[in-house]
Amino acid sequence: MQITFDQVSHIYGRGTPFERTALRDVSLTIPAGSFVGIIGQTGSGKSTLIQHLNGLLQPTSGTITLGDVKVTPREKMPHARRRDIGLVFQYPEHQLFEETVAKDVAFGPLNFDMPPELVEVRVREALEIVGLDYEAVKDRSPFHLSGGQMRRVAIAGVLAMQPKVLILDEPTAGLDPAGRKAILEAIYRIHREQRLTTVLVTHSMEEAARYADRLIVMAQGRAVLEGSPDEVFAHADRLRELALDVPETVALVTQLNQRLPETERLPSSLYREEALIEHLLARLSVAKER
Amino acid sequence: MLQHIAIGQYVPGQSFLHQTDPRSKLLFVILFAALVFWANNAATYAVLVGFMLAGVLLSRLSLSYILKSLRPIWLLILFTVVLHLVITKGGEVYFRWGWLSVEEMGVRQAVFISLRLTLLVLISSLLTLTTSPIDLTEGLERLLGPTGRIGVPVHEIALMMSIALRFIPTLMEETDKIIKAQTARGANLTEGSLVRRARSLMPIVIPLFVGAFRRAEELALAMEARGYRGGVGRTRLRRLKWSWRDGCVAAAACALTFVIGWWRT
Repeated sequence: MQITFDQVSHIYGRGTPFERTALRDVSLTIPAGSFVGIIGQTGSGKSTLIQHLNGLLQPTSGTITLGDVKVTPREKMPHARRRDIGLVFQYPEHQLFEETVAKDVAFGPLNFDMPPELVEVRVREALEIVGLDYEAVKDRSPFHLSGGQMRRVAIAGVLAMQPKVLILDEPTAGLDPAGRKAILEAIYRIHREQRLTTVLVTHSMEEAARYADRLIVMAQGRAVLEGSPDEVFAHADRLRELALDVPETVALVTQLNQRLPETERLPSSLYREEALIEHLLARLSVAKER
Repeated sequence: MLQHIAIGQYVPGQSFLHQTDPRSKLLFVILFAALVFWANNAATYAVLVGFMLAGVLLSRLSLSYILKSLRPIWLLILFTVVLHLVITKGGEVYFRWGWLSVEEMGVRQAVFISLRLTLLVLISSLLTLTTSPIDLTEGLERLLGPTGRIGVPVHEIALMMSIALRFIPTLMEETDKIIKAQTARGANLTEGSLVRRARSLMPIVIPLFVGAFRRAEELALAMEARGYRGGVGRTRLRRLKWSWRDGCVAAAACALTFVIGWWRT
């Protein structure tokens, strides 16, 4: 399902002393099946942007096209279509409310009138995708789990609806490195296995570089840079201006290239850690053979 | 969704009213509220409405924004108006249909009572719109200071108030976020039978309570960690001072009381 924004603006608290423009003329495309990273500082409009992606907010002006549905200042998103777009908020564990983990995960599917036999299957699948043992957690209270486990349950609650697009707002905020990695790897795995269109909001360049095949950089309510990671990272100066930085891998490649002769420079497509290590090792072994 | 409720929302500014000492504002509001009940004819109500409008001008806030604070109570006003129109009898009869009649006293009472409610809400919103919660509780604490000698826990009351005021916007934001999160999971709060709608509140109320308790615990811990032991021997960061503005407010209060007392019947 492709998502396009055409000249979308959003103003909060219109007509009050608290009026604030959160999005200014944002135009962008999220192609079907892609993994898009949205990066930006706090207050750059990231969270406002993604709330438009499933019709929770309506634009003040402009048009959003979600597959075959159009959302404009006048036209709302039909309730049933929300199921297609799974939105995981920041700190999603704060939305847990049921007595047991299984019931909480089943909340979304049941709201969209999925038959109960099917719901159980979906709940089991969703919990296993996020790396939890269904039999072990299904009857436990979600409030007695650890922080990382609660977050996984909350993400499973969205996955169980089987959305066509998955949007995550800083899913790793406040987690330890191991927890971060586990959650991101799980997200990346379902993205590849189900060709699920995924939007990851983050302020970590490392996370964006590692998983996204397309990046959108937000600043002051505008989409200032958009393109493949190597295209975006090529604007290192602009990123620094926006108080963002290129990932360490890109910084290393730039440093190495300054010392290497022009013919032997490293390609800018080496922004993923594994790819860079592999390339460097290959080069070293070639050098040794000589 | 919830961003339209204006009560208790401080709007930062530099106007006359913003810079007036919270104590004089508080005392004036209390006096004004008393005068609202003392006034009993068209002239005195006109004076009060005029004072109210002058206050709005002095706050440099737009009237339409302040009027929004009436939103939560307009149903109540409507209810009292209808009740008085129908029930209060006396004077000339304007309209009669079977047992139903609208009479002079009823119209009079309806207008006065709704004016009273409106004035009370507006003056208190004007206070909270121009006074930050910290100033407000500090003013209250100082005003109640003398009662501390007879065992009233003034500092604790003031602290409870400032914490409550401080968390109103936070909890509203959180409610908004939880409503959105559950809507994204297909919760439908606006459709279905009454029972169904009441049930659909559970996914919002429970996380909200859990969050409120979590915040309370964290706050208590943070306060203890910074050595908070109650009000005994605590010094103040900001001192409140009497200024020419407070003189103006006092003069206005005297003049208003005098005029109302003179003109009421």
